[in-house]
Amino acid sequence: MADWQQPARGLSQVAAEPSYLSVYGLTKSYGAVRALDNFSLDFGGGQCTVLLGPSGCGKTTVLRSIAGLVSPDTGRINIDNSAVFDAATGTNVPPEKRRLGMVFQSYALWPHLSVEQNIAYPLISAGLSKGEIASRTKAMLEWIGLAGLGERYAHELSGGQQQRVSLGRAMVAKPRAILFDEPLSNLDARLRERMRLELLALRQQAPFTAIYVTHDQLEAMTLADRVVVMRAGSIEQVGSPEDVYKRPRTRFSAEFVGIPNLLGGTVRSAIGADMVVETVVGVVAARGWRSDWSPGAKCTVAVRPSLICLRCEATTDARRGSIIRSVYQGTSTIYLVELDGTQLTVESLSEERHAPGSTVAVMPTPGAVFAVLDD
Amino acid sequence: MLSVLMVSYPVVVVALRAVSKKEIGSALTLEWLTAVFESSRSAEALVNTAIYTAGSSAVAMTLGVGLAFLSTRTDMPGGRSIGFLSLLPMLVPPFILVVGWVALADPNAGFINILASSLIGTRTTWVNINTMTGLIWMTGLFLTPYVYLLAAAGFRNSDASMEEAARVAGAGHLRLLYTVILPLQRPALLAALLLVIIMAAGDFIIPATVGLKARIYMLPSLIWQNQGSLPGQPGLAAAQSLLLVIVGLLCIYFQRRALSLGGRYTIVGGKGVSPMLFSLGRLRYPLGAAAILFALSSSVIPLLAVGSMAFMRYWSPYALKPANLTLRNFQYVLFEYPQVWPSAQHSLFLALAGATCCVGLAIALAWYVIRTRGRFAGAVEYAMVLPLGIPGIALGIGILSLWILVPGGIYGTLWILLLAYVTAHIPVAMQFVGSALHGIHTDLEDASRIAGQAWTGTIRRVDIPLMRSALIGAWLLMYVVILREISLVILLYNPSTVVLSVGLMDVWSSGFYPELAVFSLLLLVLGLAPVAVLWKFARFAPD
Repeated sequence: MADWQQPARGLSQVAAEPSYLSVYGLTKSYGAVRALDNFSLDFGGGQCTVLLGPSGCGKTTVLRSIAGLVSPDTGRINIDNSAVFDAATGTNVPPEKRRLGMVFQSYALWPHLSVEQNIAYPLISAGLSKGEIASRTKAMLEWIGLAGLGERYAHELSGGQQQRVSLGRAMVAKPRAILFDEPLSNLDARLRERMRLELLALRQQAPFTAIYVTHDQLEAMTLADRVVVMRAGSIEQVGSPEDVYKRPRTRFSAEFVGIPNLLGGTVRSAIGADMVVETVVGVVAARGWRSDWSPGAKCTVAVRPSLICLRCEATTDARRGSIIRSVYQGTSTIYLVELDGTQLTVESLSEERHAPGSTVAVMPTPGAVFAVLDD
Repeated sequence: MLSVLMVSYPVVVVALRAVSKKEIGSALTLEWLTAVFESSRSAEALVNTAIYTAGSSAVAMTLGVGLAFLSTRTDMPGGRSIGFLSLLPMLVPPFILVVGWVALADPNAGFINILASSLIGTRTTWVNINTMTGLIWMTGLFLTPYVYLLAAAGFRNSDASMEEAARVAGAGHLRLLYTVILPLQRPALLAALLLVIIMAAGDFIIPATVGLKARIYMLPSLIWQNQGSLPGQPGLAAAQSLLLVIVGLLCIYFQRRALSLGGRYTIVGGKGVSPMLFSLGRLRYPLGAAAILFALSSSVIPLLAVGSMAFMRYWSPYALKPANLTLRNFQYVLFEYPQVWPSAQHSLFLALAGATCCVGLAIALAWYVIRTRGRFAGAVEYAMVLPLGIPGIALGIGILSLWILVPGGIYGTLWILLLAYVTAHIPVAMQFVGSALHGIHTDLEDASRIAGQAWTGTIRRVDIPLMRSALIGAWLLMYVVILREISLVILLYNPSTVVLSVGLMDVWSSGFYPELAVFSLLLLVLGLAPVAVLWKFARFAPD
């Protein structure tokens, strides 16, 4: 297995100039189903943009539209300021002329070609000389850590190795951007984690423009420079991974980045976006997306599980709940706590264990609570 | 869209011709349609065809399902080799089967009857091929492999867990067979039955050879006589064809329905647990021997009979002695008979060109229907089923009735034969190519597009290499089938475009059997040569 943590040799052979991509007003319907609804986004050059969302949210349609495998009904797609697709003018550059690379969920390695031939394929299509094809293929094989395996066929490789061949094939022709369509979801959990870290190291070495589609929030958090949460064909929220996790805009975003605690609350007072909200976990300070809150208004707050403290001995005004279930996970323990008929998920790093049935004080730490927009 | 027209116009033309007094365009009449049922010869043929179809379908179903069950689901010895033997007749031209069984069961000079006579001492006739029973027997044998193929696939893929569930629920062996195993195969078996009904009703070669000799008239042979001989009755021939077409299309309709309803019988999961084998007990060896005998009698035995007949100076009840052995027949047929080389050239050209056209067109059409999903994809898909339900002789009438009207057209040339072959066989080629294309994940094509290949390059570099074995299999099948095809061309050829299979009919009518044997062996060898060369590169099962 290659160690991408190490500085790679021959980087100039594989790195390409990062290109800027942008899409404007993409709409695509399949029969009565609207897969994309007026979708616009800029993809920064050299950045990794992760499209995150549940299946059917349109993320793959965006990716396939950029690749040229799907023709949107309306809208425009630019690469480096020239249109590769424009519904208004009828421009539609075919996929083979867009100079992109793509990594598929199924790897899509051609079974009748060897590893070497798979990687050389885009170079042959580009009509390069034999010598150049051979040297660039060799450099890429080395770079993905499969030197010496070039004669093998895809079915003779492990899942992780196949994924690397797929990546090598996507990168070898120095594409303007690389599109990733849920590339890790066919791997088992351990290999997925390892490949995720390898991809991250790779991106740090060669900052190509990447568009990455996934439904796995962990992949999104690790790999993204920018996360785009998608829902029903349009954008729910755009931001850095930290931004989206700490300041989810909506209930949907919060649920999708993995915040299970969405509680009802009543606004006590508000100054701009800062407010005080009464919830089952007590009267807490919160920040929100809107700044037009008035006292007495109902709102929904997201409370991250890792920012709630459980204590056996109660301080004065803490709310009490009872432990329903505890799940030991090694580094942390997940508790399900019931408070006035509301269930909360709490993640505790503390060594202190609470038995099911015991009563605990529930105390959110400062910054734990964020008011989100209702759907 | 052109392909839809190509396969559908013969049906329309046959229908039009059946209600026209003379050529299409003349006054309309119902006299031909009524004549089908009222003229005594035609009515007799109708009854005969029905008996023949029912009988040979029953034989084929019994033998096919029986052999399939014995070879896949029981501990009968030699199951695998019986499987191979049962499929062998598909590669052997039916003419070999006919000549072989004439050699075996001719009332006077058949080997079986000669053997019987020498055992008993006086002239005896045990079996007589020149009867309805004889015809049904031959056709049944000829159709058995088609049933076997469908039934064996079903039995082999049946899910062990369903049967285990039934056994746990207390079902004994026979109960299991009748309540679970056979009902699960119902769609496959129904599809097989309808297929052999179409093939039997439209079968030409057996009714036109042994059938006519025995004066047992059937619709396909009457159509040939009405269309071909003078004074002909082309209108009546068209009306009779129309009847066959209607029966065929109805069968196809119900067959498709059975297969699509079969979806709900499809077994999900079932991880490679091989189904239980039934123990035959004391019947193991007797049943095994019987199965081998049946399997042999459809290919190897007739082949041996034809082979030995080919070396005989003449063929009569008392000709079976060493002094009668000769190579004279080979010399005559191969070097002196004037028709043989021109017709062999025609046949080879048509088989090579026809197979190539079929496979090439099938690739284009399958791509259009499965990948492009263009506006006419549905229409093409439906139309491609049509030729499967049209008997060759009726398709011949359809093609003839149209092109005879086109002055200076392709009528009378080799091209009309090529057109007929391609029309008739494109659906089967498309099934092969289609299922191969379905097996290629679209990601593999998308990856190629993104890697810089246009769709033409993608087909050439990705799809064709991946489908190679299926394409070779389809090509070989087309080649073999076209080479031996006769019902389609018997109405379309003229003296300058004779093909080998038509030449065989000429030799048949001359009645000189040893030459006939050599001639049919020639057809067999030409057919098997490319199969032998390309066999290991090919994949035949369209799955």
